[in-house]
Amino acid sequence: MSDMSQQRPHEGLLARFTRGVRLGSPIFLGYMPVGIAFGVLATTIGFSASQAIVCSATALAGAGQFIALNLMRDRADVLAVVAATTVVNLRYVLFAATLSPHLRGMPASKQALLAFTLTDETFAVNVSDRRSGASTGASMAGVGAIAWTGWVTGTALGALAAGWIGDPSTWGMDFAMPAMFTALLIALAEDRRHVAVAAIGAALAVGLPALAGVGIAIPSSWLIVIASVGAATAGAVIFR
Amino acid sequence: MSAAYIWAVIALMAVANFAVRFPPMALVSRLDLPEPVTRWLGFVPAAVMGSLVAGEVLRPGGQLTLSPTSPYLPAALVTALVYHYTRSFLGATVAGMAGFVAARALLG
Repeated sequence: MSDMSQQRPHEGLLARFTRGVRLGSPIFLGYMPVGIAFGVLATTIGFSASQAIVCSATALAGAGQFIALNLMRDRADVLAVVAATTVVNLRYVLFAATLSPHLRGMPASKQALLAFTLTDETFAVNVSDRRSGASTGASMAGVGAIAWTGWVTGTALGALAAGWIGDPSTWGMDFAMPAMFTALLIALAEDRRHVAVAAIGAALAVGLPALAGVGIAIPSSWLIVIASVGAATAGAVIFR
Repeated sequence: MSAAYIWAVIALMAVANFAVRFPPMALVSRLDLPEPVTRWLGFVPAAVMGSLVAGEVLRPGGQLTLSPTSPYLPAALVTALVYHYTRSFLGATVAGMAGFVAARALLG
């Protein structure tokens, strides 16, 4: 097998990339409705179609982009908008660090491409593929490419057909993102230890805002990062 | 809303989202991490997904919503069950959205 791939490295590379595209195709379909919703909302608050598409193509930031729209609608300062989306997506720092031990020896230019397409969904697919031992740099690039295409295609559809689509919430759009997260949670909670860590994360995400009652107000944009770091730390301490 | 304002946000968001993704990857992949750190990193995916789902389902819009008429919890259960039995990411997402619409109509 390895001899064959050495003789025909391009075919091997392409086959691995295509495998990644296949693995990531559910992400493509899952991103479409969320991307459509972003396109509709962005044009509703004043983006042109090309601005909405460029935003999705360059940021690929999911929840971060929706938060940006909310703040921009209230005419927030540019830096405030960027800071809020960055903090919401700080979990990508954790994702990038979690994947990196598997990316040793990969040139920085290829890592940059993988990093660019790193999202909750591509991360979860690559991590579970990595556990089966089949994941490679090329397959991760395939996962990233198809996810990016879905997000940008959805945004374009939403931005260009906003008038025809109407209010995306009538067809359950409010739940597309939570549904994707829920399926990913079940996919990743593969043993008792990970179920316990996920439960601790859930308890912290719901419980920490109650600290406002004793004068400790946690900004909601920091909540997920703090709950995640707390739960992973608890897991690392409990399950030695 | 001016075009300049929108383009400025788009450009800075692109830079910021790359900055939280690439430098940690480039840096950590060049380090030899001690065992406790790799163990900690191994728990990150479940920790993040647990807190994301709880936030989205139990605190939609930032308000704690434990009402029995909230459509979020039944829709999440539908999603989880469909994923558990089918292992289909897309099927679970679509079922969750349909479950949400149905629960909202029935409970609301």
